[in-house]
Formats: sequence, structure tokens, C-alpha cells
Amino acid sequence: MKSKAHRHQASFRDPSGYIVRDGSVVKRVINPIYFPVYDALCKADFFSPLFKAKMLIPHVEQERSAEAIVLMPDQIDLMTYPYEWSFEQYKQAALLTLKLQNFALDRDFSLKDASAYNVTFHRGKPVFIDTLSFDFYQKDSPWRAYKQFITHFFGPLVLAHFHGAEALKMMQTHIDGIPVALVASMLPKRTKLSPTLYTNIHLMAKMEAKHKDEYTPKSRSIKLSKQSLRNLLRSLYNYIDQLELMQQTEWGDYYNKTNYQPESFIFKKEQIQKWIAGNGARKILDLGGNDGTFARAIDSDIDLAVVADVDHNAVALNYAQVKANKEVNMLPLWFDVTQPSPAIGWVNLERESILNRLSAWGPEAVLALAVIHHMTLSANIPFADSAQFFARLSPLLVIEFPKRDDSWVDSLLQRKREFINHFDHYHQENFEKAFEEHFKILEKVNIPGSDRILYLMHSRQ
Amino acid sequence: MMGYFSMMFLYFDAGLGAMLVQAIVAAAAGIVLFSKNFMYKVKSFFGLTKSQKDGIDTIDFEQDEKQPNEEQGS
Repeated sequence: MKSKAHRHQASFRDPSGYIVRDGSVVKRVINPIYFPVYDALCKADFFSPLFKAKMLIPHVEQERSAEAIVLMPDQIDLMTYPYEWSFEQYKQAALLTLKLQNFALDRDFSLKDASAYNVTFHRGKPVFIDTLSFDFYQKDSPWRAYKQFITHFFGPLVLAHFHGAEALKMMQTHIDGIPVALVASMLPKRTKLSPTLYTNIHLMAKMEAKHKDEYTPKSRSIKLSKQSLRNLLRSLYNYIDQLELMQQTEWGDYYNKTNYQPESFIFKKEQIQKWIAGNGARKILDLGGNDGTFARAIDSDIDLAVVADVDHNAVALNYAQVKANKEVNMLPLWFDVTQPSPAIGWVNLERESILNRLSAWGPEAVLALAVIHHMTLSANIPFADSAQFFARLSPLLVIEFPKRDDSWVDSLLQRKREFINHFDHYHQENFEKAFEEHFKILEKVNIPGSDRILYLMHSRQ
Repeated sequence: MMGYFSMMFLYFDAGLGAMLVQAIVAAAAGIVLFSKNFMYKVKSFFGLTKSQKDGIDTIDFEQDEKQPNEEQGS
């Protein structure tokens, strides 16, 4: 079909089909080789319960010919990748994958892959997006995607349990998942005493090393009963379900640790609400948005607020609220503004950079509250560069500037010790001058009871 | 149909070690599940059990909603 020209770079691995971009719309094309499975899935009414449970991205069949079937899936606003999820998000994505495999087995199908990239977050929940991952179940056969589940989900989660959530960022350098031998080498020795960790990680690493040059078993064929496979899945599910980070949460309530007076806090919330609602922005990107407190304060109609933060705990707290309140328009994102996730994989196009994905999504307003002093004084990013960065992201910017007298700014400056004079440029005047190169300052207000100023700016681009 | 499956085998390497190890993993999983279930029954006999969380079979389930206090991953 003609849309083959716009085939997405992330979907070359699976011969069953591929993704195409038709303008801004993403579609899935099924190759004839997968028709028998797809038709059997439809006949078994496999998809509709999963759509209803919001476990699989819903689709409608749009075209059918001898060469291709075209599916039109619900569109994902912003794709997030495993290394941008908090531990709990990652865990829920893993549990979803196991549930789907269990569901598939009940109906004599099986997941043929278990990549973490098959899951993303949509309307507050993890959702499986690779509709073509289901295959026929072959009687008494082991799970082909088992190793992939371990390298993409189980291994990273177990590492994060012992070493902290930062371990999940290793997925950024291992697009095929973290090798089992590497996971095994990083786990404490005592994990060999755990039947689940010993068998799924240590023994698997040994077996992989032993058989690394063989492709077919020497003696008998490999058999595993369906019940045994179910036990394997159930035991992984139970283990992951109870898994938590060993590191202690630094704070339960982030805003108790800030230097805000209650009246400043309320003023800031109301001012943001007024500006966002007044400009009719419905797609909000909150950079350094902590646990989403300010994004939640906007009570106008928001399609989606992407709340990004460098602090894992803040992202985790945000996701806990999304889950507890069943919020559908909040997407917590683990994101470092000074080193945004790069493009990775084949020709650097397989997994797009977060900045490209954000720009394709097109936020209508960016909130940058209590962020600029960290960018300027902790990361040494000049105002001219941060202004350009924000101007490329969105037409509308709400930015908070803490003055030199602010206690946080003072503490950041004190840490510069003998180099403190190198940061004399950190002034309101320089800030405004640099930002006016890229923005028109529409409004600015002092936040009462604080040494901070709130700006509403419009990009000149 | 044969053509279909042979192509699937080219799709990615499932790893022979990983395929072979599954029988042992599943056997260990069976023992763990059996003993957990046994302990659960013993505890429930003495009235010591809490209500069980949603498991792998809980589907449609209005997407398993848990209590907020169980959700803080960190």
C-alpha cells in the first residue's frame, strides 16, 4: 500500500506487520503472513474484553485487501518509554504483560514477544500497544518470549529493588533489555537462596552461557505443559506484585519541604489557573512539576498534563495519585531537563528522543515553576540557552523566577563557594533580557510572601 | 501455515538456554505456589489472613483498582 513510504522506524523487527504514519495519524498494517492469526483472534473474540478492560489499545479494522489489513488504533498522545517510567509504572507495565499472556493462554494464544516497548501509558493506565504480538499457542511449548520478559521487565525491576530506581535507566543503553548475565552479576549473593530469583536469573544466566553456541536441543525436544507455564507466570506475577524499592522515600509530602508560605502557594495556584484557562491551553507540559500539584490545580478542561520531573520520588507520588484518583489526563514522566532521553536504536530512529516526541505532541503551554534557578545555577545553563529551549517547546510559557534573595537561590549560590562571583549574571534583569529575545512578556506578578516572580510569556517563533 | 511459523522463528532468538530453563523455573514456581497456598490455608484456619490482592487472573475487573495505601511504589 502507498502508505508504506511512511513506515515508522520502530516497527521493522516483526514480519507480521508495521506501523505507518498517515499525517499525524498512526495506523497498523498487517502483512498477509499474519492474517491467519489475526482472523483467528477476531473469531475467538479475543480483542473486545481486552479493549473493555483497557489493557490493549482499541482499534477498528479500516481496510482489508489481499496484500494488507489496516487497523486504526486509538491514538496515543505521547509515547513514553520504559526508562521514563517510575518504578511503580514499570511494575504495572510488567504485570499487564503477564496478565495478557495468561489471558492469551486461556484462549490458546501466546505472546510471541514481551518487549517493554509494547506497553505505554495512556489515559492514566498502562496499555499494551502491539496488537500483532499475539500468536497461536503450540501445545506443550515453552514461552518463546520468556527470556525477553526477564531482560525487559523482571531483571530491571529486581535490579531497581536492590539498587534504586536509577537502575531502570539502564534500559536506555540496552534496547534489547538488560542481559541476564549482567543482572545476575549485580544481584547480592543472597538472592541465590530465593527460588524465584535463583531460577529466573542465576540459573537462566548459567544455562544461557552453557548453550550460547547451540540453536537446537541435542536430545529431546523442549516441552512444557500449559499448567507449568501458568505456574511460571503466576509465580513471576506474585513476585513482581510485592516488589518495592528498598530505598526510603525522601519525603512523603514534597511541598512541606519547600520555602513557600501558604498564601504564596495559593496565589501561585490561582494565578496559573487564571493564565492557563484564560489562554485556553488544553495540552500542558509541566517541567519540574514534582508530584503534579500545580498541574492538578488547573481546574479548566485539560486534555493532558504531562508532568515531568527529575526526582523519581516525585514521579512516583504523582503516579500514585493518578492511580488512586483514576485520573485520565495526567501523565507522570521521569525526565531530566539537562539530559533528556536521546533517540536510540537502529539509525537512531527506532526510539525517538523525548524532545522530538514532546514536540510532535505539541504542548500548548509549558509550566516551568521553580526550575530556572536549578537550570542556571546547578546545571550552569545560560539564560540565552534556556530561553531558546523553552521557545522551541511551546508558544506559551509560565515561568517562575526566584530572585537572588530567595533562600533556595542563596543556598545554590553558596554551594559555588569561591566561584560564587561567576554567577553574578543570575539577576532578574539578565533573565528578562535573555528571554525577551525569544518571548514577549505578557504579564509578570510578584508572588506575595516570597522572593519570586511569575511570568506569562508568548513565544516570538 | 508452516511458512508462517518458520518465519516466526527467524523473528528473534528466544535463547536455547532460556527455553531449556523454563521447565526448572516452572517446577520451582509450582513448589513456591504450593507452599504459599498451603501457608495461606494454615493461616486462614487460624484466622490470620488478610484479604488476598488481585492476581494474574483478575481481568476486565474494571482494571484492578487497589487501595491507595498499597500503591506507593517507593
